[in-house]
Amino acid sequence: MARVNNWQLGREMSYWYPESRPQRQFAAVFDTNKCIACQTCTLACKTTWTSGRGQEYMLWNNVESKPYGFYPLAWDLKLLEMLNGGAWNGNKYEGQTIFESAPAGERVLGWRPEQQDYAYPNVGEDDCAGQVDKGAGMMSLPHMNWFFYLARICNHCTYPACLASCPRGSIYKRPEDGIVLVDQGRCRGYQECVKGCPYKKVFFNPMTGTSEKCIACYPKMEQGIQPQCFVNCIGKIRLAGYISKPGQERAENPIDYLVRIRKIALPLFPQFGLEPNVYYIPPIHVPLSFSRQLFGPGADEAVKAYRNAANDADLSSLLCLFGSSEQVMTRWSRQGDLVSGLDDKGSTLVRVPRNEPVFTRPAYDKLYQITRTNCP
Amino acid sequence: MLRIALVVALSVVVTSCSRGPVMTTEVVAVPAQKPVATPADGAWDSAPEHVAKLLVQDLVEPRLMKPSTAEVRVRALQNGGEMAFRLDWKDGTQNDLPGPAKFLDGCAVQIPEKVEVNPPDPQMGSAGHPVQITFWRADWQASVNGRKDDIHSLYPNASVDHYPFQAHSLEPGSAAQKEMMQRYAPAQAMGNRRVGPREFPVEAMMAEGPGTLSPGAGLLARGAGVRTKTGWQVVLVRKAPAGLSAKVRTQVAFAIWEGSAQEVGSRKMRTGWIPLALREAK
Ligand code: SF4
Ligand code: SF4
Repeated sequence: MARVNNWQLGREMSYWYPESRPQRQFAAVFDTNKCIACQTCTLACKTTWTSGRGQEYMLWNNVESKPYGFYPLAWDLKLLEMLNGGAWNGNKYEGQTIFESAPAGERVLGWRPEQQDYAYPNVGEDDCAGQVDKGAGMMSLPHMNWFFYLARICNHCTYPACLASCPRGSIYKRPEDGIVLVDQGRCRGYQECVKGCPYKKVFFNPMTGTSEKCIACYPKMEQGIQPQCFVNCIGKIRLAGYISKPGQERAENPIDYLVRIRKIALPLFPQFGLEPNVYYIPPIHVPLSFSRQLFGPGADEAVKAYRNAANDADLSSLLCLFGSSEQVMTRWSRQGDLVSGLDDKGSTLVRVPRNEPVFTRPAYDKLYQITRTNCP
Repeated sequence: MLRIALVVALSVVVTSCSRGPVMTTEVVAVPAQKPVATPADGAWDSAPEHVAKLLVQDLVEPRLMKPSTAEVRVRALQNGGEMAFRLDWKDGTQNDLPGPAKFLDGCAVQIPEKVEVNPPDPQMGSAGHPVQITFWRADWQASVNGRKDDIHSLYPNASVDHYPFQAHSLEPGSAAQKEMMQRYAPAQAMGNRRVGPREFPVEAMMAEGPGTLSPGAGLLARGAGVRTKTGWQVVLVRKAPAGLSAKVRTQVAFAIWEGSAQEVGSRKMRTGWIPLALREAK
């Protein structure tokens, strides 16, 4: 085991391989407050990559309703229990990561979902049968009447547990963009990665006998185009780009700005220790104790900053770039009430207003002398 | 008097029946007329049996922490060019369906590539000291025995609306249809031998240390396995080790995977090196 720096934990940790950060790291920000769980992202991915034999059950992208939704079943609860929760002291994680708590004979602390654990994605997750102030009537569990949608893809972690778990070295992290891939020629289907990935984002394909996972649509990213689940997102909750190495962040990089400078977007379960690279703007209507468990100690401040975004010209402008262009915007700038997304060379890809003009259409159209309604 | 004679005659028969195979402390490959690839062939009766005790693989991560299969009974035949091993072991569960969190019964024979005074590391060899491995898996056997290569063979109740390669615009069996199928099976596109139907349930491989397993190009691999009342009986056929003769011994090691115990890859029961001797035809 090597000692590596994990900025999300505020400390060093043990990892199977020495620290080797890619030239640039694929990263994304998801705004949970805007997701409507339409699952368009799920289908965009499914039709593009996992429509083959043996892939029927696979959702490289899934959207689950938290706190009671999971794919696969209880994926996060199981590991949290195995990790004994994990404790933070301010911004420093003092519990153990999945690498540090690996049992004898294992490379990481993990567990393997059974087949049926994949069988019910999003079934009944947000069926809330009670009154808001009384809790859900249908369950004897303390089921609170709040929930939010958590869209999940592979986190293309800086310290991937899938990669560390593979005894064959069949999983690699691309030095040029940090995308984590399973070499389909080399994989022998041991499913160690399925066991090792805490986010359960590697899937065994029984027809090819190999494990498969999200590839961050790398053929698109190589062309400067965002992945399928990003460009098809109805709620415009997603922004893909690259995060800089710790200490090298630049305010003109949208991901750096949201994650490292404004700290409004947070990693999912940073305490697992993988330095995941999909960052979430936490939901603002959810108990903070829950958000802290999911997104770490930065949740309180992130929620505060987001609630104040309307008064914050830079932040609200940048949030308007989400879903505004198919292309990867590696830079951004604001000119008054306009915000621009730019590419590496500084060419403008898109320019959008910070405030969309609002038109109110009168119900009665005087010109044509008819009444229009929005509903049939 | 007659009764006593009868009792004596009977006891001789019983003794000869219960004597069973000749047991050896090493694996001795005896001559056979032809290469033998089926477990039931009568030629196996002429081969002595070696009972190899199995150890947990607890040297490299991921390790097997709990022992499963205790021993494997081994016989070997050779006909000059080829060598066949028959492995018999107890296994109460038949695990031949692949799937998430489902693992497969299997077995393997490992032999150093070269006859060396100091054999390679018994745990998959070492750099510069390769080992050759012949590997059998229960799901490949099921495929050879006629299990269809489709999702319904694994999940009889599966309901699939549509695969892209079933589009009306693609003629069944056409190159365009195959291409469409391969788009969603990258392992197949890469030529990974884990995919698809097989002619033999066995594959040949090379290794130079843990994690280095690669296809054993040009190495012969044939064989067959059958389910017995108590477990599996599998024949693995490979080329006779180069340089091996009645005067020179080499080494052999065995491994067994118990699917129901989630054994896979390096999580296996295995032996250390066992001397492998050759008995030539008289
Ligand atoms: S989320 Fe899982 S599959 Fe993706 S890189 Fe991290 S450990 Fe690997
Ligand atoms: S497409 Fe966007 S809004 Fe719809 S479920 Fe996916 S992430 Fe949420």
